[in-house]
Amino acid sequence: MGGALAAEWWKLRSVRSTYAVLAVTAAFTGFVVLLAFQMAHVWDGLAAERRDDLLLRPLQELGGWAASLCLAVLGVVSVTSEYRTGMIRTSLVAVPGRRRLLLAKAAVVGAVALAAGEAVTVGSFLGTRLVVGGRPFPDQQAPIAHDLPGFVLAGTVVPVFALLGLSLGVLLRSAAGAIVSVVFVWHVLPLLVHHLPEPWSERAGSVLPGGLPTQMAGLSAENSVYGDLLSPGAAAAVLAAYALIPLGFAAFVLTRRDA
Amino acid sequence: MIEVRELTKRYGGTTAVDRLSFAVRPGTVTGFLGPNGAGKTTTMRVLLGLDHATSGEALVNGTRYGSLRRPMREVGALLDAGAVHGGRRAFDHLGWLARSNGIGTRRVAEVLERVGLAGAARRRVGGFSLGMRQRLGIAAALLGDPGVLMFDEPVNGLDPDGVRWIRELMRSLAAEGRTVLISSHLMSEMELTADRLVVIGRGRLIADTSVRELADRFRRGVLVRSPRAADLTAVLAAAGAGVDTMPGGALTVTGLDVAAIGDAAAAHGIPLHEVTPHSASLEEAYMELTAGSAEFGAVTR
Amino acid sequence: MTDNPNRASGTVGAGGIGAADDVPRDGVPWDGAAGGLVGRGAGGVGDAVAAEWWKVRSVRSTAAVLGTVGAFLLLCVLWSWYVARYWDGLPAARRGTAQAAPAEQPLAVSLPVCAVVLGALTLTSEYSSGMIRASLAAMPRRGVLFMAKGGVAAALMGAVALVATAAGSLAGAAIIGDRPVPTFHGAAADVAVHLLWLGLTTAAITLIAFGLGAVLRSTAATITSGMAVLFVLPALARLLPSPWDERIWSALPGSLANQIAGPPGSSGDHGALSPPVAVTLLVACTAVALGAGAYAFARRDA
Repeated sequence: MGGALAAEWWKLRSVRSTYAVLAVTAAFTGFVVLLAFQMAHVWDGLAAERRDDLLLRPLQELGGWAASLCLAVLGVVSVTSEYRTGMIRTSLVAVPGRRRLLLAKAAVVGAVALAAGEAVTVGSFLGTRLVVGGRPFPDQQAPIAHDLPGFVLAGTVVPVFALLGLSLGVLLRSAAGAIVSVVFVWHVLPLLVHHLPEPWSERAGSVLPGGLPTQMAGLSAENSVYGDLLSPGAAAAVLAAYALIPLGFAAFVLTRRDA
Repeated sequence: MIEVRELTKRYGGTTAVDRLSFAVRPGTVTGFLGPNGAGKTTTMRVLLGLDHATSGEALVNGTRYGSLRRPMREVGALLDAGAVHGGRRAFDHLGWLARSNGIGTRRVAEVLERVGLAGAARRRVGGFSLGMRQRLGIAAALLGDPGVLMFDEPVNGLDPDGVRWIRELMRSLAAEGRTVLISSHLMSEMELTADRLVVIGRGRLIADTSVRELADRFRRGVLVRSPRAADLTAVLAAAGAGVDTMPGGALTVTGLDVAAIGDAAAAHGIPLHEVTPHSASLEEAYMELTAGSAEFGAVTR
Repeated sequence: MTDNPNRASGTVGAGGIGAADDVPRDGVPWDGAAGGLVGRGAGGVGDAVAAEWWKVRSVRSTAAVLGTVGAFLLLCVLWSWYVARYWDGLPAARRGTAQAAPAEQPLAVSLPVCAVVLGALTLTSEYSSGMIRASLAAMPRRGVLFMAKGGVAAALMGAVALVATAAGSLAGAAIIGDRPVPTFHGAAADVAVHLLWLGLTTAAITLIAFGLGAVLRSTAATITSGMAVLFVLPALARLLPSPWDERIWSALPGSLANQIAGPPGSSGDHGALSPPVAVTLLVACTAVALGAGAYAFARRDA
């Protein structure tokens, strides 16, 4: 297993697409922090009574949301690029234990995505806080230590999307198909669910992956398309299921299919 | 040691390999021959655990490839040299392969040196020529210093220098006591490289033989010229040979070898001007063997 | 005149699927003088379009995209059925204020995604398989090939969008029946104009993705960029300070369709642009993406 892990790690860090994805993710986080400067500027120019409507949180949450897509794409191409070039056969000849190969890939991609996700969510939060300084935005009254765990939890959705992308890549073997399917879960499905009438929009919105970290942190889902009906434990279980169930399917298919 | 026993592989309704059995022994280069679509690549893919056999088994060193802990140390394979990620550097491509099988990265430099790519180690594979990719694929096969090597059409698209290099490499690998299996659809190439031949057509075994045996099997009689052709015909016919008179007076003798013909002629004092054993070229032998088993033959009118 | 020079160029790429060799067309003889379809020089526009049409209908990804559209059409039907039941369950007092998205809403959300995929794959799939070289060998006039590819993809996607949304809308109207749900009871002309523009913006998005694909040449990068334009940029724009949030959001390709001709009966906020401005912007976006793509496609080595 150690060898397979080391090999996957080497593979991931020796292609340019990995750096492209991480660069876009980092650039997006930088952009979020830049927007915070703009928000601070707007705050200074706003009359006191209108300041109550100016929220910083949507901006802070944007980083993790975009990082989910970027790292999901990383997960997809980590598999589909091998299928496209035929290198999957080389990989399977080197590591014939297919479950082991998938596990190694998932572990490496998941770890990178977790690191990137935490960097983005925590970075967005701390960066924007630093930028707005002492300005008392209505949703930034709590001390940093109080809000930080929520953002740490928000980072966990990023590896889930990355693993979902990886599994879909194995199942579909096509970058286009897998990316579109991930986008469907990431954005189109929430949009559609949002259009459902109550109470179904809230029920369905509660089990969408994007809304699970808030529920894990025990926060309400106000101002979002998601719901907040799950307990923290149940939300964590559902989030894990989004990563593990597709991975199980992928393992099942990979071991049975001719390469 | 490679053993294929009663191997069958079906893709949906088409049977790619049909109850195929053969063995490849160490110390020899074995040519795996057949027309395009005969099932050579499929057999190799099953041997490497890439495709699942419908029935039967394909073993390397007595075990299934999939159950090997560090397979590249026992089996090296080159399937499709083009199947590399173009954005990766040559060193990185071999690097991850080495790490996956617990092979030290120093070995990467060694094999790059051996295949003559040491100077291109830091270049991206996407910019490699076909010959360079082929060398990179062979470097990957040699990475684990394996006792069994399999190459699928290794000389495809190579220049004469490259072809000769591969030929000499294969022979030296076999001389080191390794088992070497090379698939090809070109008999002329195998004639120069292989000691043994496994010929298949439409997924079935046609011949499992040595190059010499195959040449003998397709011996086409002995060409004899003599100023006393009529006398010689009578003598040879009496000795039990079949004799045909060719245009120009030469005789084609079947059923007796060169020595027996010479002895018979000498016993009767008949002078001989030429005695030449005639055999079909291996190319012709191969065409004859595989006639009718090409998957998509041209229609001759 | 059997050795028509036009044919020689058409057979170079033999081997690639439908690589332009001898697309049989009923009733059009191969004699160059007879048909206006056979242009001058190496490969006419008509040949290129026929070849591209053959290509697009002989790959599975097209079928997959059409299948997805079909699935969402089914979702439109389900949605209408659900709205009908929901409406019946509503107390009369709340019916006046109740809001429901129109029947074609599932398609309106998913068609841009399908358009991005089809537009991107039209070129990037050829780059990833290397078939682009066969295509260029068969049709060396890059401008013609580029236009034929983009044109076929956009026409297909636009037509599919029109047919699917019309079917979805009709099914919705049939299912809702005489229940007075406002979004299901627009005037026929208004609905037709709305759906027509939905189809045209879908075609435009196909072309934008196609142009982007010519610049990026990678399926993953193109589709991801397309998704970013469709979904991430609007979310980002919403966070900008007023009035820029509204202005920039309104100008994004994904928001234009509803500003040109929104769904009748819907009271939602569709954006700040007047229909002519939105149309101009749509055309401009398409032209810029196509121009950049054509420039890259013509200048770069294949």
